[in-house]
Amino acid sequence: MAVMRQSRPGRISGGRSSAWLPALVALLSLLMLPWGRTDRSLLEFDGKLLVLSQAPGLGVLLLAGLAVLVVASLLHLPLVQRGYALVGLGSAGFLAGVGWLVTTGVPFGVGALLALSALLVLIGVGLSESGIIQNDPFVTSSILISSLFVLLFIVYPLFTVLRESIWIKGVFTLSKVQSVLGSPLFISIENPYTPQSEQFRVALTTLALGLVGAVLAARGGLRAGRVFAGLGAGLVLGWIVGAGIYGGGALPTSLYLALIVAPITTGLGLVFALLEQRSRAGWVRRSLAIVSLLPLITPPFVFAFALIYWLGRSGIITGDLLGLKSNFLFGINGVAIAQIFAFTPVAFLILRGSVQGLNPAFEEASATLRAQPWPTFQRITWPLLRPGLAAAFLLTIIESLADFGNPMLLGGDRNFLATEVFLALTGRYDPNEAAVYGTVLLGLVLVVFALQRLWLGNTSFVTVTGKPGGGNFSPLPLWLERTLQTVLALWGLAVVLLYFSIFYGSFVQIWGINNSFTFKHYQDLTNLGLPVLLKTAQLAFISAIIATLVGFLIAYLVSRQQFFGRGLLEVGSMLSFATPGTVMGVAYILAFNTGPWLLTGTGIIIVLALVFRNMPAAIRGVISGLSQIDKSLEEASTLLRAPSSTTLRRVLLPLLIPQLLAGMVFSFVRGMTAISQIIFLISPGNALATVLLLRWIEQGDLGRGAAMATVMIFGLLAVILLLFAVSRCFGRGTSLDAAV
Amino acid sequence: MLMRKTNLRWWLFVVMVFMSSGLAQQKVVNVICSVTQNWCEALGPAFKQATGIEVRIVSVSTNEALARLRAERANPTFDVWFGGTGDPHYEAFKDAITEWYRVKAYGDLSPTMKAAIGTTYIPLYQGILGFGINPKVLQDRGAPIPRCWKDLTNPAYRGLIQVSNPNTSGTSYTMIATLVQLFGEEEAFNLMRGFHRNVAEYTRSGVAPRIALGRGEIGIGIQFMHDLVEFKKQGFPIEVVAPCEGTGYEIGGLSLVRGAKNKANGQAFMDWAVSPAGQQVGFRAGIFSLPSNTKTPLIEGIPDPKDFKLINYDAKKYGDPELRTRLITRWTREVFPLPRR
Repeated sequence: MAVMRQSRPGRISGGRSSAWLPALVALLSLLMLPWGRTDRSLLEFDGKLLVLSQAPGLGVLLLAGLAVLVVASLLHLPLVQRGYALVGLGSAGFLAGVGWLVTTGVPFGVGALLALSALLVLIGVGLSESGIIQNDPFVTSSILISSLFVLLFIVYPLFTVLRESIWIKGVFTLSKVQSVLGSPLFISIENPYTPQSEQFRVALTTLALGLVGAVLAARGGLRAGRVFAGLGAGLVLGWIVGAGIYGGGALPTSLYLALIVAPITTGLGLVFALLEQRSRAGWVRRSLAIVSLLPLITPPFVFAFALIYWLGRSGIITGDLLGLKSNFLFGINGVAIAQIFAFTPVAFLILRGSVQGLNPAFEEASATLRAQPWPTFQRITWPLLRPGLAAAFLLTIIESLADFGNPMLLGGDRNFLATEVFLALTGRYDPNEAAVYGTVLLGLVLVVFALQRLWLGNTSFVTVTGKPGGGNFSPLPLWLERTLQTVLALWGLAVVLLYFSIFYGSFVQIWGINNSFTFKHYQDLTNLGLPVLLKTAQLAFISAIIATLVGFLIAYLVSRQQFFGRGLLEVGSMLSFATPGTVMGVAYILAFNTGPWLLTGTGIIIVLALVFRNMPAAIRGVISGLSQIDKSLEEASTLLRAPSSTTLRRVLLPLLIPQLLAGMVFSFVRGMTAISQIIFLISPGNALATVLLLRWIEQGDLGRGAAMATVMIFGLLAVILLLFAVSRCFGRGTSLDAAV
Repeated sequence: MLMRKTNLRWWLFVVMVFMSSGLAQQKVVNVICSVTQNWCEALGPAFKQATGIEVRIVSVSTNEALARLRAERANPTFDVWFGGTGDPHYEAFKDAITEWYRVKAYGDLSPTMKAAIGTTYIPLYQGILGFGINPKVLQDRGAPIPRCWKDLTNPAYRGLIQVSNPNTSGTSYTMIATLVQLFGEEEAFNLMRGFHRNVAEYTRSGVAPRIALGRGEIGIGIQFMHDLVEFKKQGFPIEVVAPCEGTGYEIGGLSLVRGAKNKANGQAFMDWAVSPAGQQVGFRAGIFSLPSNTKTPLIEGIPDPKDFKLINYDAKKYGDPELRTRLITRWTREVFPLPRR
């Protein structure tokens, strides 16, 4: 690439600059479009809002500067010097504009948005032409624009959360942090009203598990570091378990829940992945194909909702069959069951990748050396699977911590971190408290991510590059296969029953009380739910298009271009994936509620929240697609003097259509089923289906809720099946893994 | 040069897509609605038919509504706050988030409701606190039907009661305030500690206990009677009981948001909402709370205050944010953590 760049036409010493166009756009939008707003609507047009009447001094300066730049760009001038001028004047204008908005707190208008974006493009052109950055104008401008968006819509909101937790009414104070962390809602261990001492029991559990950890670590080799690490891990786990069982409060409850859910989910995921690869029965593979779709098409908390009917106090299994009238479901148990159902397919998709990466040749070699199946598994298969297992385990922990819908419906009296963020803001109206909870949750999730990096490091455990080599896996021992199949069959039966109960519930008068057949709920749904469903689909669709395009661009920049801050851009754009939805929701409402970036109360903020939530999936999909395309194609295009924008559009875009299509469909589907990040953001005229569903369920309109869930499940299923049909036309398979 | 133009077209396209979601404005009123979803949804079409003004509604719980109005006070999205327990409406007025507007039908509104709240917000309906019971569940347990607040401490009801959590629900705060007014603060907290053992779960939403009650998961739900009547009419096997010592009530509120963008439309909506025609919309949506307009013809099934022993609920004293916070904090520290099993 470096060789090619020198031969580009832009390297000659003088000529016109393409900067005239962005300069002109900025000029015109400043002249004709509103600079600021008085209200939430971006479509306000009023002479008083033009920059010349709102900020005459700034306006005249900007307009004069831009006029000079337009003229200068159209003349034949030395490239390098003019490039420096473009960068200098452009940055000054950009900073002045942003500075004015930030200091006055006037919400930005369409004109400001367009002008500032155009200025960034102009700076990009200047950077490229002056040779400060060795990329062509398109790439440089794209880097600047995407960095701005990532900064504004991911980094800045998260920063606001951190700020709100320690910066109260303009004063730095730790008092809120102290009062929240000290409150019984966060951690409560000792209960003064019980005869026994909870603290003592928690301490005992902590010590016991710490010892167990140390002993286990010592078995692998008596080194001090190892033993201490084992002891430390044991102590932490022990405290979580102890405080989760004997104490209460959001922190121990959420951690304890994650510790229950993660191993079970990972285990089930492994079972499914092994079965898919090695089972002799055909039904197994077919049913697993359906399993992998479920998490995508199911709106959140629908499982929770169905579980109440089977395991609730008067549930079909617990009440009618077993005759129990227990409160068993509401609390950690219920949330754990619902999460296991919801997250197992996710773990399966992750583990499927690492199971398929195994090379059968190793196992064959081991068998040839007369190793029994068990030692083969222990010595060959297991070590190769470990990184995949760790990834699935940690991802499940994150999902469990971030989950909002299930604890909301089944949490009972326990508090959870993700719901407490919501309740602090909506129930107690304390944005600072919500920010403290958000910070804690975000911190935990980042620690888990860091653990994953530490644990797995950068070592590659893939045994072969590309597709697995020849050879066949030895089938599982018969007894093992039977056991695993039974597990799958039971799981499948439970899932079928849960889904069936939702379909059934949508067709009867009152579920469980009056089981006569009716279409009433669907009639209600057409009146009340349909407009909301359509609106949701509209917002999700817009966000899916933007997420895919921006994701495509960022993926291209990150994986194909070299520039300063590339890693930061990648991490920044992935950050929203790691951030729990409720935290992102709170962050958006704190960051975009007043001041220059006022966006709350509009549909735009919902679209933005969904875009930046779903973009990482699109980025990863495109990156993996790009890694399969040889760079020589792009180099050929560059040699033919196409700028990188043309290469992107005419070479890479057609080749990546399957990935982009998949990215778009998954963004759409995830947008339709999102709840935690958008529950704060609904506004008049922008009601969303999942929020309405939650409200119906909470108020007892269960039939209508079931009808809505049914319509959503079938609608999304249809969309996904359509995607498969279309991508088959393109002759390439689409991978689901990237989207999860 | 040609290339730059097409790039720009891409960016323009992206910006256009962005903007297409901010739809054009017309004659509208933005309402934040804190009554049940059915009622909220019925308001829009009825008002549009009556006046031609479009109603855009967001329905959230009362506390959440207050939270949003407070967050947006500098730049409100909403014009009118419809429904929900009175205390948050009172608090919103005190904090200058809402303003008082004398609706056209003010003269026809119930004098007792007006007297209780003064000129802080417009009374919309009255809801009376009571017990919902599921007779079959109680019978299976061999437990008697509760008649009084003090009956709730009976160990026979272990795990059979649901009530909402005052940290998230206005209904539950109405119960605490009622008990404090009935028995005095110390005895009220003793009573709540007493039946705390019998509570299966403190729900998030004030309406929620009726779901478990209707399904026979619990035997007693403490909430507003009109929500129970609505559920009973839908066919759930429940009955409604008024406590013998007397009971409290809420005066559901209607407030004009201070600094509303569509103030005239908001006022028109408020005028309509307390007119007989507007109040009957609730009936059609299956709502059984007592409407504030005395001229509204009642339907059968509405719990009439004349049939119950009502306390003289001091809405001003107990709507005070400071007292409210103190009582809720006390409950959270002294009642909630008590062991139940």
